[in-house]
Amino acid sequence: MRPELAKFKPLSIKDLPKEDWIAPGHRACQGCGTVLPLKLALKVLGPNTIAVSATGCMEIISSPFPYTSWKVPWIHVAFENAASVASGIDAAIKALKRKGKLPKKEKINIVVFAGDGATFDIGLQFVSGALERGHNFIYICLDNEAYMNTGVQRSGGTPKFAHTTTSPAGKVIHGNITWKKNLDGIVIAHNIPYFATASPAFYMDYMNKVKKASLVEGPAFIHVYSPCPTGWGSKSEDTILISRLVVETRLFPLFEVIDGKYYILNRKVDKPKPVEEYLKLQRRYRHLTKEEIELIQQKANEEYERLVKLCEVFAPPKEGTKEETKET
Amino acid sequence: MTNRVLIKGVEAVALGALEGGCDCYFGYPITPQNEIPEIMSVELPKRGGAFVQAESETSAINMVLGASAVGKRAMTSSSSPGISLMSEGFSYLIALELPCVIVNVMRGGPGLGGIEASQGDYFQAVKAPGHGDGRFLVLAPASCQEAYELTAKAFELADRYRNPVMILMDAILGQMKESTVLKKLNIKSITKDDWALTGAKGREARIIKSLFLDSAELAERNLKLKKKYEQMEKEVRFESILDGNEEVLVCAFGSMGRIAKESVLKLREKGYRVGYFRPITLFPFPKKALSSIFEKNNSLKQILVLELNCGQMVEDVMISVCGKAEVISKFYPPSVLPFPEDIEREIKKCLRKVYFVSPKV
Repeated sequence: MRPELAKFKPLSIKDLPKEDWIAPGHRACQGCGTVLPLKLALKVLGPNTIAVSATGCMEIISSPFPYTSWKVPWIHVAFENAASVASGIDAAIKALKRKGKLPKKEKINIVVFAGDGATFDIGLQFVSGALERGHNFIYICLDNEAYMNTGVQRSGGTPKFAHTTTSPAGKVIHGNITWKKNLDGIVIAHNIPYFATASPAFYMDYMNKVKKASLVEGPAFIHVYSPCPTGWGSKSEDTILISRLVVETRLFPLFEVIDGKYYILNRKVDKPKPVEEYLKLQRRYRHLTKEEIELIQQKANEEYERLVKLCEVFAPPKEGTKEETKET
Repeated sequence: MTNRVLIKGVEAVALGALEGGCDCYFGYPITPQNEIPEIMSVELPKRGGAFVQAESETSAINMVLGASAVGKRAMTSSSSPGISLMSEGFSYLIALELPCVIVNVMRGGPGLGGIEASQGDYFQAVKAPGHGDGRFLVLAPASCQEAYELTAKAFELADRYRNPVMILMDAILGQMKESTVLKKLNIKSITKDDWALTGAKGREARIIKSLFLDSAELAERNLKLKKKYEQMEKEVRFESILDGNEEVLVCAFGSMGRIAKESVLKLREKGYRVGYFRPITLFPFPKKALSSIFEKNNSLKQILVLELNCGQMVEDVMISVCGKAEVISKFYPPSVLPFPEDIEREIKKCLRKVYFVSPKV
């Protein structure tokens, strides 16, 4: 286990500061499930943070010049290159520390907020490069499963059968024709120090993950499920319900992967709710047939069971026991 | 019965592309042109065509390249930042002489700019779409009707010259609704049997390439392309309002052309001697047509060039006019959209100059 995480004490609600580092009054829709995890992440990271945004809803709603919601230094460049910009910032901070212009021990969090389009699709090569080079930054992917800012086009993160404007549900196709890209697998394969999935319904779990991500030396990636009432056709007041159901139906299990090798399941779902309960709350799924719902159910179970096995086989070593290493 | 509908400029582009026989559409979401991929994703599969949403603009333009190489009518659409990302593909398309249609619904720049209307990509489209000595044939519609017709025609022109054709429009034209007649256009299909890569079974293998390490060969290649650009002069299109008595000529393209036209018509009604010239092809630029206006009319002493940028087309106008008249550039950077009254004022300023300041010129 990594030394940074070995003595980790989880935050409780009492430890949280009252301050928010993103100001209210921004232009997010009612019930936005994307701006909520962004706000919570900044609560944990505090003011000594540099935020990098990729193009997307979170950039547009927070920065209609000359106004800004950001109370921390913030930079946005283009759509695809948020991870590269973060790499540059990290290199600059390292150089400044080497030259003694910044105190060596000062902890500066670099955090990227990017959507699924900027992560799964156009920015994938840049994300991969930054993870591979091992820059010390946190990448938070706020996954609302389509290009919402431009008017709900499908992305690599769009689940199968979901209706979007470029995967319209009709007679020829029933919504998106491909399964959601396995981004988690791609990111984990980079063997980065810390990877986690999170959902805003389990906010303490999520905020502790952000805390852990800030503690590890090197890249950390958090994949956050972010409901979008506008794009999904769900009710604004159902955002938290949906983000709870997605976990309880096994569609989006909460887990962590340390160093690409130790798997930890954060929330065991022994009695899963049927996926239909989750799907029926969203208009993007209203065209689904029984067979299709069954197919989604099957896939959810398969993926979940696979993950449970991984967590059993690759559990982190217990505290106090020495890590076994085989010498060749 | 005429098929008259009320549609947006970008919708007219999509429907024009379908009329022009577009087989494949590849694209990536960007405001303000998302209606094009939306319509294409619904319509193309019905017609046996292909719609693919790419993971980035770089990917989209190279999909166009692939589809075009096998002889299909392919297109993509984007807006300024996306077009920049495509520019590597543009250079290869030009070098490989692959026909395709690219729609740029311009927004304000540089950088991320904004989503207001702008004509800031004039230079990029007309002078240097990609690296190297390559050109696009550039068409600039000024109404939804024209967007429909020119997009359809663009497929024919692309195939005829084996060159990418760009439809250059802006956010105003793209997002405004106008009544448009979806008429049948007689778009010719041009044979690609002599070059398309359709499998070498039963014929000799073909090679389409852009790498020429032999310097003489590369020079020859460039000269061949240049010759092609000269042949494109036949396609020059423009709109003008002239009767031979003008003292000031107003020149503008695209949506700015629409605003300018209104001011010119109002002033002409009042008896002012003002002419109007709107290039529709931006490359090749209607140089000869513009210069001949000045040769025929001795009283014409000034040309007012209006643009929604910081002065780009004015350079082409200067080359065309070549000292025959005073070129005045009035430009409006993105999001500073003039009213026809503003332009009337500018035109009157020019006229006053003709009468009082430099009567002897």
